[in-house]
Amino acid sequence: MKSAKNSSLKNGARVAIIGGGPAGSFFGIFASKLAKDLGRRLDITIYERKTFVNQGAAGCNMCAGVVSESLVQLLALEGINLPSSVVQSSIESYYFHTQNGNVQIKSSRLQQRGIATIYRGGGPKGSIEKGIQSFDDFLLHKAVECGAKVEHVIVDEIRMEGDKPVLYSRGKMLQDCDLLVGASGVKASTGEMYEKLGTGYKAPSTIKAMQSEIELGNNWISSQFAHSIHIFLLHIPGIKFVSIIPKGDFITISILGKEPDAGYTKVFLNHPEMRKMLPPGFKIPEKFCHCFPKINVGAARKPFAHRLVFVGDASSARLYKDGIGSSYITSKAAAHTALLYGIGEEDFKEHYLPACETLNRDNLFGQFLFHVNDLISTISLLSRGYFKIIQQEQKNLQKDAHYSDILWDMFTGSRFYKNIFIRALSPWPIIRSLLASSTSYLRKVFFSHQ
Amino acid sequence: MPEEGLLGRIYKDDEIIVKEGMQSRTMYVVQSGKVKIVKSDGDKEIILAVLNEGDIFGEMSLFDASPRSATVKAIGEARVLAIEHECLLKRITMDPTLAFRIIKQMSQRIRNLNSKLSTAMKTITQVNNKLLQLNSENVTFRDRETKSSHVIDNIAQIQKELHKCNELFIQNESL
Repeated sequence: MKSAKNSSLKNGARVAIIGGGPAGSFFGIFASKLAKDLGRRLDITIYERKTFVNQGAAGCNMCAGVVSESLVQLLALEGINLPSSVVQSSIESYYFHTQNGNVQIKSSRLQQRGIATIYRGGGPKGSIEKGIQSFDDFLLHKAVECGAKVEHVIVDEIRMEGDKPVLYSRGKMLQDCDLLVGASGVKASTGEMYEKLGTGYKAPSTIKAMQSEIELGNNWISSQFAHSIHIFLLHIPGIKFVSIIPKGDFITISILGKEPDAGYTKVFLNHPEMRKMLPPGFKIPEKFCHCFPKINVGAARKPFAHRLVFVGDASSARLYKDGIGSSYITSKAAAHTALLYGIGEEDFKEHYLPACETLNRDNLFGQFLFHVNDLISTISLLSRGYFKIIQQEQKNLQKDAHYSDILWDMFTGSRFYKNIFIRALSPWPIIRSLLASSTSYLRKVFFSHQ
Repeated sequence: MPEEGLLGRIYKDDEIIVKEGMQSRTMYVVQSGKVKIVKSDGDKEIILAVLNEGDIFGEMSLFDASPRSATVKAIGEARVLAIEHECLLKRITMDPTLAFRIIKQMSQRIRNLNSKLSTAMKTITQVNNKLLQLNSENVTFRDRETKSSHVIDNIAQIQKELHKCNELFIQNESL
């Protein structure tokens, strides 16, 4: 396939985006805005099967639904302010439940509710809550405001005809385009469709997570989970960690573990630590809205070709966190490459690939940090010392919040993992941590002899 | 409006968000309501601008690290999102286009200031010319008194126009 270096998207160029989730909408928004600044007009069509207004899986893009602190701020700077109809709960703290006790963590940097919990569709099946606007629907409308069109059609075949990609749906030609943007996440069927093009693209490796929506009522959630995301690190067999994300009348239970199934939610809801947070007499419903979304845990191979670029989960994503933030980064980098440099393979390699590689390299630091975190939580001496330091830091955040900020950034996805890694290597906090662990050990020895 | 879904921090009417002279590098985006940028002049408060939903403020300190040049207060209840400077500066080095919107807003402010400066300069020239004209004419004390009162009326009229002009700026400009 030939390269077309320095042939950027010209006035009137046709762009087809497959997938109307955040990655597709972000590409539509940033390409339209930059084209306008450059005095060009693009013909952008977003192909999205769903409408994001239906309840349950039919209208949902299946994810835990947290927009990180840094992304909320970046979007506000881009002029995309999330309205209260989209934000189900504004988060100001994380609450960690561990075997050594519980601790609430707030950021030492900004005293505000800066993290948004959102629904990716029209809300859980059976929800009677009114006025829910899906985050994906909100962003898709922003893309339309910027000039993109939306077609609710399934694209099931792509052919390269001459120099251009041509899209088909059930054998019927939809359009040809100057640039095709693959933004359809990590679905196996679309991954295969792209791989069949023979450009060298290979879909990213994934793991399965589990999300369940449990209705507890707004009043109960406000009193028990108010403006906090709860993380449970309880060593339940098969479960790495559980996050509880408050959203109006519901909580989203997000479970990361080995081959999760519906039984995991029931095991977790019956755990004594979780039972304390449920209403008296709470019975686990027979049926509840749940799904098993795939999470990108490895980068796609060669996420670009001549007149073709992949963004969001179909390309590179941050490990375990901030998937929507990764979509923002990759989509913006791809849109700017296409408009400022070109749509040839070499252009994407030179100007788009570095953005993906930054995420991929950063995930190596992330893997290391999560391993260390797992290790700390399994060695009770270390975890007790670590827990004590964080408790002390939270009493006076302005004085010293080194470890609290590390934990905050790791679980909120507010900072790149490399940045967290460098801060974690700072010698004085390591000495402090070892001292705290030793003190904890001596106390244990001393009290055990009393 | 449900409180659960409100991002940022809520400020009550007249509550100070940013204080003149304070050292801080945080930038802000108005999420809802209005805020005013004010300069204190003795007991008086001069309103420099009123900002609405989506507007940015505090961007000067982000780049030059100087103390705050003015005070920002809420008008009625206002909700404001703080932007952390260290994270933003790092992101700008990765993606310089992030600074475009800030630069666009700063350019708009310079245009508005130029326009205000031009109006003020015109007024000063007019007053100066009147005074020179008065001085060059050989008039009696009584005449001078009459002429002076005429000049004072003119100045008062110009002041009124300036005041109206300023109010129009505050109401209409979207800084």
